[in-house]
This record gives sequence, C-alpha cells and structure tokens, in this order.
Amino acid sequence: MEKRVIRRGQEELKKYVLDARLCTGCGACIDLCPYHRSHRGKTAVLFPCVVDEGRCFAYCPKVDVDLDMVSRHLFGRPYDGNPLGSYQSISATRAGGRLKNVASQAGGVVSALMYFALEKRYVSGAVLTDRRGLLPLPRFVTVPQDVLACAASKYTAAPTLSALNQAVEKGHRNIGLVGTPCQVLAAALMSSNPLKADDCVNPFGLVIGLFCTWAIDFRLFEPFLAGRIEIDRIRKIDIPPPPSEIMEVFGDSGTKLEIPLNEIRELVPNGCSYCIDMTSEFSDLSVGVMEGHPDMNTLIIRTDRGRRIVEEAAQEGYLTLSALPEENREHLIWAAGNKKKRGLSKARGEGMINTQGNETKSYLRISAEILEGLTA
Amino acid sequence: MTAYRLPKDPYNIIITGVGGQGNVMASRVFSNMLVQKGFFVTIGETFGASQRGGSVMSHIRVSSKSTWSPQVPKGKADVVVTLEPIEAIRVLAGYGNPAVKVLTNTRAIYPAGVIAGRLSYPSLDEIKETLKKLSARAWFIDATDEAVKLGNAILGNIIMIGALSAVGDLPVGRGDFEAALSRTLPAEKMADNLTAFDLGVELMKQ
Amino acid sequence: MSYLTDEKEGASCLVMGNEAIVRGALEAGVNVASGYPGTPSSEIIENLSKVAKEPNLYVEWSVNEKVALEVAAAASFSRLRALCVMKQNGVNVASDFLLHLAGSGTRGGFVMVTCDDPGALSSVNEGESRFFARLLEIPLLEPGNFQEAKDMTKWAFDLSEELRQIVVVRSVTRMSHASGNITYGRLPAEKRRAEFRFDGFALDPDEGIIISAPVAWKHQQQQEKIRKAREIFEGCPFNTYEGPERPDLLLITSSACYLYSREAVNVLGAEDRVGLLKMGTTWPLPPKLLAKHLSRTDKVMIVEEVLPFLEENVKILAAEQAAEIGVKTFYGKNDGTIPMTGEMNPDLVIAALSSVLGIDYVPVPEEYGREAQASVIARAPNREQVFCPGCPHRASFFSIHNALEMDNRQGFVCGDIGCYTMAIGSTGFNTLKTLHSMGSGAGIASGFGKLGQFGMDQPILAVCGDSTFYHAVIPALVNAVHNRSNITLVVLDNSGTAMTGFQPHPGLDHNVLGEAVPPIDIARICEGIGARVEIRDPFDLEGTRETLNELIEDTSGVKVLIMRKACALSPQRKNKKDYTVHVDETICIGEECGCGRFCTRIFGCPGLIWNAEKQKAEIDEVICVGCGVCADICPQGAIKREEVA
Ligand SMILES: Cc1cc2nc3c(=O)[nH]c(=O)nc-3n(C[C@H](O)[C@H](O)[C@H](O)COP(=O)(O)OP(=O)(O)OC[C@H]3O[C@@H](n4cnc5c(N)ncnc54)[C@H](O)[C@@H]3O)c2cc1C
Ligand code: SF4
Ligand code: SF4
Ligand code: SF4
Ligand code: SF4
Repeated sequence: MEKRVIRRGQEELKKYVLDARLCTGCGACIDLCPYHRSHRGKTAVLFPCVVDEGRCFAYCPKVDVDLDMVSRHLFGRPYDGNPLGSYQSISATRAGGRLKNVASQAGGVVSALMYFALEKRYVSGAVLTDRRGLLPLPRFVTVPQDVLACAASKYTAAPTLSALNQAVEKGHRNIGLVGTPCQVLAAALMSSNPLKADDCVNPFGLVIGLFCTWAIDFRLFEPFLAGRIEIDRIRKIDIPPPPSEIMEVFGDSGTKLEIPLNEIRELVPNGCSYCIDMTSEFSDLSVGVMEGHPDMNTLIIRTDRGRRIVEEAAQEGYLTLSALPEENREHLIWAAGNKKKRGLSKARGEGMINTQGNETKSYLRISAEILEGLTA
Repeated sequence: MTAYRLPKDPYNIIITGVGGQGNVMASRVFSNMLVQKGFFVTIGETFGASQRGGSVMSHIRVSSKSTWSPQVPKGKADVVVTLEPIEAIRVLAGYGNPAVKVLTNTRAIYPAGVIAGRLSYPSLDEIKETLKKLSARAWFIDATDEAVKLGNAILGNIIMIGALSAVGDLPVGRGDFEAALSRTLPAEKMADNLTAFDLGVELMKQ
Repeated sequence: MSYLTDEKEGASCLVMGNEAIVRGALEAGVNVASGYPGTPSSEIIENLSKVAKEPNLYVEWSVNEKVALEVAAAASFSRLRALCVMKQNGVNVASDFLLHLAGSGTRGGFVMVTCDDPGALSSVNEGESRFFARLLEIPLLEPGNFQEAKDMTKWAFDLSEELRQIVVVRSVTRMSHASGNITYGRLPAEKRRAEFRFDGFALDPDEGIIISAPVAWKHQQQQEKIRKAREIFEGCPFNTYEGPERPDLLLITSSACYLYSREAVNVLGAEDRVGLLKMGTTWPLPPKLLAKHLSRTDKVMIVEEVLPFLEENVKILAAEQAAEIGVKTFYGKNDGTIPMTGEMNPDLVIAALSSVLGIDYVPVPEEYGREAQASVIARAPNREQVFCPGCPHRASFFSIHNALEMDNRQGFVCGDIGCYTMAIGSTGFNTLKTLHSMGSGAGIASGFGKLGQFGMDQPILAVCGDSTFYHAVIPALVNAVHNRSNITLVVLDNSGTAMTGFQPHPGLDHNVLGEAVPPIDIARICEGIGARVEIRDPFDLEGTRETLNELIEDTSGVKVLIMRKACALSPQRKNKKDYTVHVDETICIGEECGCGRFCTRIFGCPGLIWNAEKQKAEIDEVICVGCGVCADICPQGAIKREEVA
C-alpha cells in the first residue's frame, strides 16, 4: 500500500487557517522565515513556500492541534476536557509591595510575576505586548522595568509570538511569555518539538497565560473608535465583569467612553469563535480578573515551575495570595465550560475536528469520547 | 561583388545566446568581415530581449548575389554558433537540418525557471549528445571560461567568432577581423580582442 | 566621427535599417530632427544626435511624440527640412496634431518616420500606423530593403516639398533592426536659413498663416495633394516588379514582407510562376500601375503584416477597374491564406504560396524535425525575460508586492510602459494588474480611486518610469489631485529611458546633444501639483516597504513615492561592482524550513544560482553585478557582501 504523505506546510496552513478565517494573528508563524509577515494585526503570506513540513503549520494553534499530545507533553497525562484544564491550585491574588501601584489591568499579578522572574533571572527576557494607539506591539524585554511599561490589556488580538520567534532566532533561551490562550497553546506546541528536530530546544522559562473570552480585530476596532475618542490618547480599556455588558475606554484627560459589548462582539475575529480555551490551559500559570474584585486577579497554578515562582514571589512580597471563594471558582468553571462547548460545537458542525487519527482534517484532534462529553 | 563561390548561396549563420552575452556585437563584427570581402550580408536580430536575460538570436545571411530576408527560413541554417548551450537546441528545432554545423560555448546561463526550481537544466553530457545527434558536426568550446582567464567574460563572444572563422566555409580570417574591429573599437581594446580571436581559432584545432 | 557621415558617395556599408534612414535624411540635408524613444525606432534620433555637430543639425528627444511632431513642424514652417521619428504608438499620441498638420500643410520637406512592431516583439500592441495615412489623407512610403530605406527617406523630403505636405515613411522592426549593405549617396552642401513668413496673403501656402481653416477649402487642397501624389506614384521607381510577363499568381507586397516573399519564391523555385509586385508607395496606390499588373493574371495574393491595409486598397482599385482588368481571385487575410496577427516570415509565405500553387514542401526530413522538437521539450527549458542582475525594479517590486500582501486588502497596481512592464510576470512578483499605454497606469488609477462610493475598498497604486512620467503621467496626476482620487503613484526613477537605451529625459542635467540643461525635478512637480511625496532608495527594502504601507494607509489623497536608483545597465552603474558577494555555505540552510530557497526561488536575481548537489545557493560570478541587495533578503544572513573599495 502506498503511504500517503501528509504535507504540513504553508500551503496547508493557508488553506485550513488563513483562507478558512481561523487565524487570530497570534504571531506563531511570523518571523520564522521571510514568507509570513504580520501587519496591523493581520497575518499575511507574502510568497508560496514549498517546504513539506514547516514550523508555521506545526506551531499554529488553529490547525491540526493534537490536544492529547500537548497535554501529555506538558502535564504527563491525556487531555480530559476539564473546563479549566490541568492545574494544581487556584487562588485570589494581587500585586504587592512596590509593584502595587503599577498601571496594570487588574491586580497587576502578571506584571509582578514577570518582573520578579526577570529580576531573579528565572527568565532571561520576556515576550510581552505593548501598544501604539490601538495597535498592539510585540516586545522582547530584558530589564524588569520594561515589564511594567507593557502592563495592561490590549484587547486587540496581537502577534506577540513574532517577538518570541525573533528572540529565539537570536539565540535567547529561558524566555518568559505572557499570552492569550491561543498564543499559549502555540507556545506549548513549540516546546513539544513537533517536527522532531534534533536541535530543538524548549525556549521557555515561564509561560503566563491570560484568561480570554475573545479579542478584537485591530483593523475593525480602529475605524470603530475613530471619531469617538482620540485614539492616540487612550489611557486604558476595560471590560468590567458581568452583568455590566459594556466596554470602557478611558482617555488621558479623564474622559470615559462606554460601548455596549454587543457592538464590540461584531469586531471579534472569526477565529476566536472556534477557541475552546478560556483560561490558557497549557501555561505554567494562568491569570484573569477576579470577578467582583476588579483590582484583584484569579491565579491558576498548573506546573511545578509556576508554583515555585509564585511561592517565592509571595514570600518576597511581590504578591499577596488568598483563597478564591468557591462561588467564584464555580462561575469560572461554568464560563470556561461554556466557551469549550461553543467552540467545539461550531468546529464540529463545520467538519473541522479529527477524531480518527492520522489524517490532517484541520483545527483539532480530540478523542471521540471527550468530544461527545464536552458538546453534550 | 565577389567571385567567391560559397558552399551554399545564401549561406546562413545563426548566432544565438542570452541577452548580455555580446551576441549583437559578435554578429556585427563577423558580418563586417564578410562585407569587406564583398559579400551581400543581411543580419536579422531579436533586440527586445537583448538586455534582459531572454534568448537572443542573430540571423546572418551571406550571399554573393543579393540581399536576403532578415529571417532564415525554417531548416535552413548552415552553421549555428551558440554562446549558451541550450540555446543551440532551441535554434536547431527551428532552423537545424542534418547537415548543420554547431559551435557551442559550454558555459550555462540558467533560465529563471531553472533557478527558481520550476524547470530543470540538462547536464553538459546530455546537451552534447543532443547537439551531436542534431548536427553533422558539433564543436564544444569553453569560451566563457577561457575568457574569464583572459580577464573579461564578455570576450567569450570573440573567442566564438574566432572559432567560427576556423570552420572554413567562409573566406575570412584574422586580418578581416582586425580590419572590421578597428572601425568601431578604440585601439587600446584591440589587443585583448585579437588574443581572444586567436584563442578561438586555436581551440578549434583540438 | 561616424561611418554614417565620413564614408563618401559610392561607399558600400553594412548598416541597420534605422541607420539607412539616418543616412537618407542626411543626404536629404535634414536640419531638425525630433522624436521620443521607442523600440524599434530609437536608433534614428540617437545616431543623428551623434553626427549633429558637423552638418549643423538640431536634434532633440522631445517629451512625447505630439510635442516632437510640433517641434519638427516649426522647422518645416520655417522652410527647413524636418524629420520626426516615433514608434507606432507614438503616432496615436501625435495624431491630434497630425490631423491638423495635414490640413494646414507644410513648407520645408517634412518626413515622419514611424516604426511599427508587428508581432509586438518589444511592444504591448501591434498597432498600425499605415491606417493613419489613409485616415488623415497623407502619403505613405514603405521601404522594401535597406537601400530603399535610405533612398526613400531622401526622396520623401523632396516629395514633401513638392506636395507641401508631410510624408510618412513607415518601417517595421525587422527592417529597422535588421542590417544589410547599402551604397551611399552624396551629402549635400546646401545650407538653409530658417525664416517663418506670415504676412503674405492669408491663404498663400508659402507666405500666409499656417492653419487648417477655412476647413472646407483647406480640406480640398489637402485632397488635391493626395491626387497629385497618386500621379507621381504611377512612375515611382520604388514600385518594382520581378517575374514572368504573365504570372500564374501575382504576389503584391511591401516592406519586410517583400524580402520574405522573395525568399519564399526562391525556396519553392517558383520564379517562373509568381510575379512579385513590390509597392513602395502604399498610400495612395497608383491605380494605373496596379491595373497593368492585375490585368496579366487571374490570381492575386497580397502579403503584408497584421491588418489587410494593402489588400483592401488593392481590392478597391480592382473593383473600380474590373471592367478593364477582369475578375480576380484574391488570396490574403480575408480568406485566411495569410494570418491577420503577428509578424510574417519566409515560412508563412512559403506555406501560403505552396498551398495556392499546389507545391509540396517539407523544410527538413520528418525524423529530424521530430527529434529536434522532442529535444527542445526535454532539454531546452524555456527562458523567460527577467529583470537584469542588480536591477532596481526587482527590489522595487519586491517591496511593492510585500507592502500590498501585508496590507492584505486586495490592493493592486496599474502598470505602465517601460522595462517594469515585466512586473506583470514572476520577475516582478506578478505585481501589475493592468497595462496599457504610456501614462495610462496613473490615469486608470485616478479612476479606480473614485470608486469608493460604489463600495470599492481596495488600495490603488500605479507605477511609471521617470521618462514615462514626463511623457504622459503629469496630466493624469493633475487629474487625480484635482478630483481628490485616493491613490499612490510609484515613480521608478532609474535615471534615464532604460528600456530603449538611456536616452536623456527632462529629469537629467544634459540633453541628447550633451549640452547642460536644467534638470526638472519629479518630486517638485508632484509637490507643486499637491501630492504628498516621499523618496526612497529601492535597495533599502524594508524602509521602502514601510513607507509604502504608510502611504497606502494614508487616505488623504494622492501620494507619490519616488524610488530612486540608477538602472544596472546605466552608464554610471555598468561594469561597476559596489560589493563582492558570496554565499557562506555553512550558514545557508537552502531548502529547509526557515528559508525554502528564498533567494533563488523567490527573489530570482539571475546572479544567484542553486547548487543542487550541495543543496546550497551560490553566486554566479560572471552574472552577479555586485549590487548587494540580496544580502538583505536572506533570512539567515548567509549572503555576505563586502564593499569594493
Ligand atoms: C484580549 C484579552 C482578553 C481578555 N479577556 C479576559 C476575560 O474574558 N476574563 C478575564 O478574567 N480576563 C481577561 N483578560 C485578562 C485580563 O484583562 C488581564 O490581562 C489579566 O487579568 C491580568 O491582569 P494583570 O493586572 O495581572 O495584568 P497586567 O499586569 O496589567 O499585565 C498584562 C499583561 O498582558 C499582556 N498583554 C496585554 N495585551 C495582550 C494581548 N492583546 N495579547 C497578549 N498579551 C497581552 C501584557 O504583555 C502584560 O504582560 C483578557 C486579556 C486580553 C489581552
Ligand atoms: S514551512 Fe517554514 S519556511 Fe515555509 S512558510 Fe512555513 S515556517 Fe516559513
Ligand atoms: S493563528 Fe497564529 S500561527 Fe496560525 S496562521 Fe494565524 S498568526 Fe499564524
Ligand atoms: S543563501 Fe540564504 S536565502 Fe539563499 S538559500 Fe541560503 S539561506 Fe536561503
Ligand atoms: S549582489 Fe545579489 S542581487 Fe545583486 S546582482 Fe549579485 S546576486 Fe544579484
């Protein structure tokens, strides 16, 4: 019997992700080679590439993602469909000490942890997301102070991982990353050596994932806000927890714009609607806004590496830890489960889920049983 | 004009190559050598591609009687001189015949499609085999390589002109070359060109 | 010194068709020559400019063909002999003035040489200038060999003076660019003085004012001139006949087709069956001469290129004179014997003749033909035209392509005429999406840029070369600014008219005679019109790309990016390496992920080749011109460049 060679290259990436409008512009396929570029939030293919098996395809979180393989690689066990993924513990937390008053999004824990990790050289540099106006800008920083400059959420989907690829290319290792769930999944794929390369090294020292329901397409957001507020003078954007159903945009002179979320949802990239991960399940640590406490964070500890850093940081006063009320935990599970169900049902309805084994169908590989359980 | 009896009248020469190899200059110089001897000469050239890496071809019609068309009729080439090996194959498919003679510079210039990997370029052995099969006689001359040794790759065209004059069908030689060249070339460039011409004649003896 | 002037009367020289025309004009004592470069016509003005000093010639490259014709007309109006040269499309550009000129008439001998390009060997059309002669009612001459190219040009000046009308001499690529030996005539000693007379009786052709009105009266005068030309053509020695007294077939032809036809008759050995009537005066045709030849045969074949100009005109004469000459059977374009597109060659005439005459003709033994064809398919990979090694256009289009892909809104580029036309194909990354006449890229873009109200949201770009900019882009740019069209124009400024051989244009500091002139700055023109202007060196790939994206995103109106870098073949860059370049084999990753042979497979400078054995890229020393730009596109930094001191 003839063995069918499955190409996993740019052509397939283009067909299954870009042309199928699944791309979220995460940046995992950017700056690996001259073929892909990100510009104003969009991933573009400049020229056709003929490499049969490429990193672009292998790293992309939207094509042929083998959830079992990733889970085994990171946590040593198969993917079981738990709404919050594999984790060790959950707590309520906020930044402490001298990092308390940073202009962060919520409790400032993400910035505090990365600051600490960099200061203690647990990581040699950090891949973060800065912005100019509304345009998200991937950055690789090597001094702790620069972590603070990148604090606060940019709700526009960002090609953050392009900065990671650049840093790796330059030889950096032991890198810290802060990313959304799709970016964190791509990072997990990268570290799993998907192409079985002899010279592959895991470049990550710490991966902090953000909670995320969806992001916004920069190219839609900018014209949407233009005329309503001076884009260059936006200080912060926030989405207060339910039931408020609004987005708040703060100008630097104290102005505040309130936009109903159903208008914002029109600006969400199509790719987000397939996402089944709300809490960045494949990270070391995941952080979100603590419901009911906009100045605090929910923190999920998933790996030993993550736990050690959190404990040390807490000891040294970089953050304070407390128990997360059961009610919050339950709501989080409910919300994360909902997202999973929505994304999976949609992907299954469009024939993008591969439960059979080795054929590239597209998007996800997952066992039939778990799929049934999650979409029931 | 001249009493010389050509082996065939008109006698048809095609000089071919790739833009930038000095194809036009070669055909001009050789034609002027013939005009000095009293022949009617017509040259037909494809110009547009001449500087842009395309195939170029000069048709030289030599006659002791009259002016002929600037295009050789199909199958009527008597000798083909090629500055780039595969161009000879192309020319023979249009103008070759079992009696044609072929002089080939062996240095390949790869077409864009070959460089890009869409097309493949034959080996020199394959080219030789093809050209031998499609001609009565084929000579292979490392003109560009020799010219590089002389210090200027472009002199490959003059080496080939020297070689062409040594085929012996036409009554032209070094003296005619010198006379033809001196009309257009400054004196300081003569020496190199003469060396190249002589080298072409020499290489035909091997 | 040039062999076009220093050889004496009676000398036999090998010259190009265009040089023969030059010699003819010199023998006619031409005083003023103008033109706009365009293959295959450019060598005429070029060669005239080289010899201009001695016979006191004035030669110029004009900004476009219409202005060229006007400049030459002034000389004719001043009783000088004037020559205006252009390729076929130029006649279209000049035709408005030409129409009025034909109405007003001329004074000093005025010859317009047009070079058509049947088969579009170096054009994007195979337009016909012959029809202009009929349309505008002016005489048309077509040389049938190199000697005639000279003699006819000379005679055309006399004819023009006799008729007080402009005379068109039409050549084709295979005549202009082919060479043959001709015998020189005498160069005149006469010196003319320029004087424009206007104060005689208004309608006096020599002393009055020069206009095409009163139209009815002037038009009658014009038609009288054409009748006179017809009379003169009856006895014109440029119409020749060779063949039997009563041929089986009369073959009527002109121009290069005469040489093909003669060759075909010879190859088929049909000299005693075919009569060859070669017409040098193709408009108006002399009716009596044609009647004489038509009456001696029943079958007539007309051999010409592209449209049936000669054929139709012969048929009209044959119909008018049918009572005397009898009914004929015609072979030509109309019945499909001769193709109606593309250029002719001996073989097409051989095929036509052998079918009409019932002759079996096999050019080569069948087996040989098969073998040769098979070899081409197997062993002669096709050779596309590409931008030269070191060409700035490759870099420019690389950046334009990348900017548009990154912009990701289906933006596109309207193309124009020049070397950069090749950017339709892979050598320019398939960047151009429309291509028409000189300056039309900017004009079309100006229109596209107004389609927003119908929902078009694609970015609109146009490109043009520097020479094209002056020729026809300026009005389009004015139009775009005036009408608030949102477009980006990229001016590929490579310091000369590269396509046709570096003729100077108004942007340079010297003219064709080598005199210093004030350069007219494209950037300042554009700013003056009201466009936003940026200037980049296209070899700064990333900077250029960034600027382009910024301009494309700027919706304020007309933006101009001038990409400034001299052509690789230009006098200032030719034979001069800026860098020595090599590929570091230890760094090159070739086909692996991360490169995928980016340099050879995508960028495609012919100076880079792929060594399949080593699986590495290499520099071809003979072809690389050392521009160094490829060092910036290698993702691994494997291409190393060192500045040449
Ligand atoms: C697009 C998006 C959607 C989110 N949706 C939710 C949600 O639904 N529920 C919820 O609880 N939390 C959500 N968050 C997370 C939340 O906004 C905070 O980022 C998180 O609670 C951490 O707060 P902090 O104060 O510790 O962050 P900070 O200390 O302010 O640090 C923020 C970090 O986020 C990184 N970052 C900012 N923007 C981006 C981006 N676009 N892509 C990748 N990294 C980025 C920065 O590099 C920085 O390190 C979302 C975040 C983003 C970027
Ligand atoms: S396969 Fe490799 S080289 Fe090709 S596009 Fe993907 S990442 Fe780039
Ligand atoms: S989702 Fe990320 S990796 Fe996939 S195509 Fe888009 S930017 Fe590239
Ligand atoms: S030289 Fe550079 S671009 Fe070319 S094949 Fe090697 S690594 Fe790729
Ligand atoms: S340096 Fe590179 S791009 Fe320039 S001519 Fe040489 S091979 Fe071509």
